[in-house]
Amino acid sequence: MYIYRLVFLLVLAIYIFSPNILDWWTSPGNAWYSPFVVWAGLIAIGFWLEWRRDPNEF
Amino acid sequence: MSFSASGLLLASLLYLILLFGIAWMTERGIVPRHWVRHPLVYTLSLGVYAGIWAVYAAVGMAAESGYGFLAYYLGISGAFLLAPVLLNPIMRIGRAYQLTSLADLFAYRYRSQWAGTLVTLCSGVAILALLSMQIQAVSTSASILAPETSPHLISFMFSLIVVLFAMLFGTRRNQDAENHPGLVLAIAFDSLVKLIALLVIGGAVLFGVFGGMGGLDVWLEGNTTPATTMSLSVDDGSWRALMLMSFAGAVVLPHMYHMTFSENPSPKALAKASWGLPLYLLFLGIPVPLILWGGQALGVTTGPNFYTLGIAQALESPALTLLMYIAGLSAASGLMIVSSLALAGMVLNHVVLPLKTPKDQGDIYRWLQWTKRLLIAAIILLALLFHETLGKNLDLSILGAISLSGTLQLLPGALGVIYWPEGNRRGLIAGLVAGLVIWVVTLVLPFSHTANLLEWLGAPLIPDYSNWHIFTFVSLTANVTVFALISVLSTSTNEETSAAEACSLGALSRPQRRELLASSSADFVRQMAEPLGLGVAKREVERALGQLKLPSVEYRPYQLRRLRDQVEINLSGLLGPSVARDMVKRHLGFKPMTRGGTAQDIRYVERALGDYQNRLTGLAGELDNLRRHYRQTLQNLPIPACSVGEDGEILMWNHAIEALTGITADDVVGARLMALPDHWHHLLDDFNSGEDLHRYKHRLDLKGRPHWLNLHKAALSGPDHPDGGSIILVEDQTEIRLLEDELMHSERLASVGRLAAGVAHEIGNPVTGISSLAQNLKLETDNPEILDTASQIQQQTRRISTILQSLMNFARTGNHAQVNRYEPVSIRRCVDESINLLSLSDKGLGIHYINDCPETLQILGDEQRLVQVFVNLLANARDASPEGGSIRVTGKDDDYSAIIEVVDQGSGIPSDQLDHVFEPFYTTKATNKGTGLGLSLVYSIVEEHYGNIQVESPAYPATGLGTCMRLKLPAYEPETDNSTTLPNERF
Repeated sequence: MYIYRLVFLLVLAIYIFSPNILDWWTSPGNAWYSPFVVWAGLIAIGFWLEWRRDPNEF
Repeated sequence: MSFSASGLLLASLLYLILLFGIAWMTERGIVPRHWVRHPLVYTLSLGVYAGIWAVYAAVGMAAESGYGFLAYYLGISGAFLLAPVLLNPIMRIGRAYQLTSLADLFAYRYRSQWAGTLVTLCSGVAILALLSMQIQAVSTSASILAPETSPHLISFMFSLIVVLFAMLFGTRRNQDAENHPGLVLAIAFDSLVKLIALLVIGGAVLFGVFGGMGGLDVWLEGNTTPATTMSLSVDDGSWRALMLMSFAGAVVLPHMYHMTFSENPSPKALAKASWGLPLYLLFLGIPVPLILWGGQALGVTTGPNFYTLGIAQALESPALTLLMYIAGLSAASGLMIVSSLALAGMVLNHVVLPLKTPKDQGDIYRWLQWTKRLLIAAIILLALLFHETLGKNLDLSILGAISLSGTLQLLPGALGVIYWPEGNRRGLIAGLVAGLVIWVVTLVLPFSHTANLLEWLGAPLIPDYSNWHIFTFVSLTANVTVFALISVLSTSTNEETSAAEACSLGALSRPQRRELLASSSADFVRQMAEPLGLGVAKREVERALGQLKLPSVEYRPYQLRRLRDQVEINLSGLLGPSVARDMVKRHLGFKPMTRGGTAQDIRYVERALGDYQNRLTGLAGELDNLRRHYRQTLQNLPIPACSVGEDGEILMWNHAIEALTGITADDVVGARLMALPDHWHHLLDDFNSGEDLHRYKHRLDLKGRPHWLNLHKAALSGPDHPDGGSIILVEDQTEIRLLEDELMHSERLASVGRLAAGVAHEIGNPVTGISSLAQNLKLETDNPEILDTASQIQQQTRRISTILQSLMNFARTGNHAQVNRYEPVSIRRCVDESINLLSLSDKGLGIHYINDCPETLQILGDEQRLVQVFVNLLANARDASPEGGSIRVTGKDDDYSAIIEVVDQGSGIPSDQLDHVFEPFYTTKATNKGTGLGLSLVYSIVEEHYGNIQVESPAYPATGLGTCMRLKLPAYEPETDNSTTLPNERF
């Protein structure tokens, strides 16, 4: 159960700071597509985690 | 540029017919099954989430709040990236208990029909707004393209076609198939059309309007107002609200629950979708800023929500315009079909069936199918009514916000299912009611222009388009607080606690081992026939038996409990968990408990732990390994053992008892002792219920042979284990019993021998006296009659002396002092001498003696006594042989033993006499022909030489004739010169 509490805290933190994170992504000077690049990076991490996951893992 | 109404209607019809075609071909099996089950199709079908947001509303939101529109995509992407901890547990529960909607999940977990009904009503109201949003988008887009078209007609026609599609492909009679492949492929196709259309229009803007990335950058530099460059600062409140609603949408939106869990082909597909859906949404999101800027650059007048159509019109491309229209149509139709289908299932299970269970229907499946179809039609027509009366006056984004904030109220309960076992039904219902009341008062009524209570009451904050998110958070906070408080303060029922444990992450349900009223699967059919009708009951029980791979007639209590669970699960998929649970509880009841508690179903738990093996890690994994170790110890114990519950149910049956009884564990574990074959049932049941803890040398005849068993019993209950029952050990004493018998036999032979020797000694002296007196008598008379009598007396006394001598010889057993006098003896020579001695007799002159013993065969022994052995054996063989028969003596060296066989061709020894031939005084010959001591003497002499003797008859099984006497004596091996090497010769 311990790991789920950590995940919960992490998700809560990301959620609370998400407007600031988005503001940072879209700050002037960045290309218009930079939020999408960061988003694609997150998807890549998700893909990698799924790819290396043991099929029996919970 | 505009289209004619008929042309637009035709295009819409053609597209929807194409969808019909895809679904039909899939259902017919024309489309390969592996395509339909491919994770890509599943992922695309999840694109139903976007609805018309993707095509229209996202651009409108981007115009208002810049990149804030991404919240609608990022929230659900987060939920899918967290699939292993959020979606997988729900899918596991849903698949295990056939829970097809969120209402089913709530009703199952919180053990409350009211919870299910409340979820259904909440989803229903929220979905009406969402459906109205789709209808509005389609009718508005049609009005833009064909201004003379009646929006009412378009709305009506569109709704009608969607109703038809959902009725045809969303409800089927085939209850065995869990999902709807036709529907899934059609929705995936919808998502693909949406994506292609958006990428095409994005590309058209980038290259057609701006002339590539360079042109776009130049345009952006020239238009630096925040509204055009999308550099608007994100509004924290509405962004967070939208993120949260989008995150929750993955679980609580009825259409998303349906597509994610009910139509899921495999856990692997969900794992792929965990990054596949975010990727799909990313591609949907990239063209949005381009479309916004394109619309602004071209000065499109349609309003940002419909820039996609406006740009296509401004570019004067009819094909592109039609593609955009079709994309909107496909997005709206897909969402409407799945939503209405999911909602109809929820209404059926949680509103219709609790009110009216179809008892008198001949075909329950058909009844359910048609009720569901009617519900689909009613839901879409209700949404149409909502749209025509209220929805069409509202902005697309506020319709979406009302809908999503309504379903958001279900998030606390949904998370409670997997993460908070302490939450209970009272808390859930109170929290939901509190949240929904605030939602209706502050969002639904004010925005639908029905009643603005806060304004009437003069509240400091009045709901409007800029602060709706505050009321969303207020309602959610009230919901969570009330849920938590009441759950903590009130107590949960046992049933609810057990359901909570079954749903919690990594938890196992611990069912109790109670006895069912039904004693066989046939009883199940009879009992379920009452609510379901005989035909349906039979089919459902047979289906459950088939799924559990059980025989068509099942009687084992453990398997019957599994069957009951499976029937409930299957009925849950058909009628919803509440109705199924009530039906099974009422008609497949347990017997009343005989005492305070009942034992846990050990086997059930063990089986579940076995299924969990790969998931147990850390301490749980170590404990499981320990459990396996002890289990294996018991299983492999070389003593037959079984354990029996208090009610006589067999809980364990190890390998040794399998071997002893010839009954496998699979056949009896979970059954009662009475299910065993009669002899075992009587023995074990009698012993188990008796007072004695031990029973020795119980005789049991198995397969015609006697077995002797020792039984031991110990009670299982103890300070750490309150459950009753006992463990029984069964020791097979048959071998030991046989050895004891053999020992007793030897003892008897020995004592008879000693007795005989004593008797012989005492009789010897008087006999010698009689013989002397007879001799004297002969000297004192010449009377021929008296002389003859005296000769006969002498003859008879000689005969007595011979018998006595034999007895004396027989009694000389076990005299180890003689061992030192033993010398190497050639068997061949002994046999030759014996044959010579026998040849002196006038009996059996026609018999041939053949001595095949090798010269080299030697044993260490007393030659004279060995000659006695062979004389006796050969004399017996001679007496049994027919005239002209032959007797063969063979010998061979077998490792350290000399094996000598004396084989005749006589009539043989009957099998019932074989056991007695070595007993003293046992003879089959005539009274004056034999003493019955010959073979006893042989037996004694052979034992003296540390050998043994066996008799085999018939020697020739083919003819049934002959006897073979086999002697086995330790062979003598003379030391050769080679073996006596000097120590220094070894090197």
